Amino acid sequence: MKIKEHQLGLHFLFILTVLVLLFPLVYALSNSFKTLNDAFNNVFSLIPREFTLQNYIHVFTRLDFMRIVGNTFFISTTVTIFKIITSLLAAYSLVFFNFKGKNTLYFILLSTMFIPFTVTMIPNYLTISSWGLGDSLIGVLIPQLADVLGIFLLRQSMRGIPRSLIEYAQLEGASTYNIITGIVIPLIRPNIISTGILFFVNSWNEYVWPVLILKTKSKFTLSLALQMFISSEGGTDFTIAMAVSVMTMIIPITLYLIFQRYILDTFTTSGVK
Amino acid sequence: MQKRTKKGKWDHIKAFGFFIPVLLVFTIFVFTPFFKTLYLSFFEWNLISPKKTFVGLSNYIALFQDPVTVKVLSNTFVYILIMLVVNFIVPYIMSYMMAIMLKKGQNFYKGAIFLPYVISLVVGSILYLWILNPVSGPIGLIARTFGIRLPIWSKTDGLVLLILSLITSWKLFGYNFIVLFAAVNNIPKEIIEVAKLDGISNWHIFKDIVTPMSSATGIYVLIITIVQGLQQGFTPIKVVTQGGPNYGSASLTYQSYHEAFTLYHIGKSSALSVLTMVLFMVLLALEFYFVERNVYYEN
Repeated sequence: MKIKEHQLGLHFLFILTVLVLLFPLVYALSNSFKTLNDAFNNVFSLIPREFTLQNYIHVFTRLDFMRIVGNTFFISTTVTIFKIITSLLAAYSLVFFNFKGKNTLYFILLSTMFIPFTVTMIPNYLTISSWGLGDSLIGVLIPQLADVLGIFLLRQSMRGIPRSLIEYAQLEGASTYNIITGIVIPLIRPNIISTGILFFVNSWNEYVWPVLILKTKSKFTLSLALQMFISSEGGTDFTIAMAVSVMTMIIPITLYLIFQRYILDTFTTSGVK
Repeated sequence: MQKRTKKGKWDHIKAFGFFIPVLLVFTIFVFTPFFKTLYLSFFEWNLISPKKTFVGLSNYIALFQDPVTVKVLSNTFVYILIMLVVNFIVPYIMSYMMAIMLKKGQNFYKGAIFLPYVISLVVGSILYLWILNPVSGPIGLIARTFGIRLPIWSKTDGLVLLILSLITSWKLFGYNFIVLFAAVNNIPKEIIEVAKLDGISNWHIFKDIVTPMSSATGIYVLIITIVQGLQQGFTPIKVVTQGGPNYGSASLTYQSYHEAFTLYHIGKSSALSVLTMVLFMVLLALEFYFVERNVYYEN
């Protein structure tokens, strides 16, 4: 009997945690379909009194919204593809080749995770400007083409591949290219997918760097577009801001829900060290 | 024999060649900037002027004489403290509850708790700004039915630090929880069963068995909580308060950004960034000290 009460208490705690964490999302979804009046007078009902699509229509008419989504999509996709390729090559080298200074190199790369973004922001801003890439999408994505986290996660998963398998393929005369595409990639596909989704989502949500680089509205990404709807007093854009929020969240959440198992596995099985 | 060394050499070149793309990006956008910022911290410059004036250590001295720096450091300390409680101690205890005590529903809770990690903190900031709006948000309205008028949190010293840390924690909580859960869940269940049979309380099992046996991950999460907290915590500050009221919510990272791109004090900003860097390096050193020496390895 006592154990049952125990379990009930635990479930109560976890459900409460989930509610606190997910309530904002439900709240945004509900308000994005309310009229402004409804949103202010009917705060506690999650179901709109009069269901409206006006907020979403507004977003598309007041902004070149498809363009903003396109910009965000372009940056995130390019960044993800490059990060996966660069990480895959570096991880392969770390796991299957021996060379002098390998561990030192890996150590130095890992340490860069502890460099605060403020240390690199001014010089990078200057570099991008001097290349004439200020206020451009390319300027946003160029510094993001490689990522230590990717090297780390893919290295962890490649270490699970038996060395003898690679050596055998080499003896059979397979080229490194064939080994990577024919053996390595198929074996660690779930890890590549989850790492890729992580890259995509992080780049999709990136705020600090685009805010420094992009000035023209037509080049904005979703995070920057969202910022245009904030006024801490509560202004008239409230329900529209909710609609933009929903559209910003929808892609990361969908990707997460589809690949949830892979993503959680990558974090739980690869551990940290 | 000849052929073999030749192949060895070729492998060597190839091994290094695979690193070239990563090294190229890192050299241009991480390593060089690192030294450039260090260099800039000894100059006075406004980002635009062709002339930089060498001022030695005076940016650093000016920082330590500035009451704003004291405020920023104390804010940063408060941010770290709150996030350590909310984002390290709480998920550690909860991961124990889930791994050892909870019997059903683990997968559902794990999946749901992790979800905010994939959402933009700009979105998070906006959502909480509305939910916690003291006049028209749900929390404010509930409080009012009890006759309580909530202060405008984004303009109230102290409270602003708490709410902004909670917004950052909202996003990062799930990641910390999942990683800690994996470590706690890896501890052999027999050890805990035996302790339970001996009548040892859950609290003592957690404190005396679980934390020591998961300490490598524990220290990693502790440090990542501070580092990620300060990095990601920038966004809600920038979006909601811009460091206000009167620097009441500025953290080290925010202040560095503010000095550079609002006030154009490049030297001072760089000096602040170097300070932040030193703080992070101390943490990194601690991680290596503890993880390499005293802790129990999970694997």
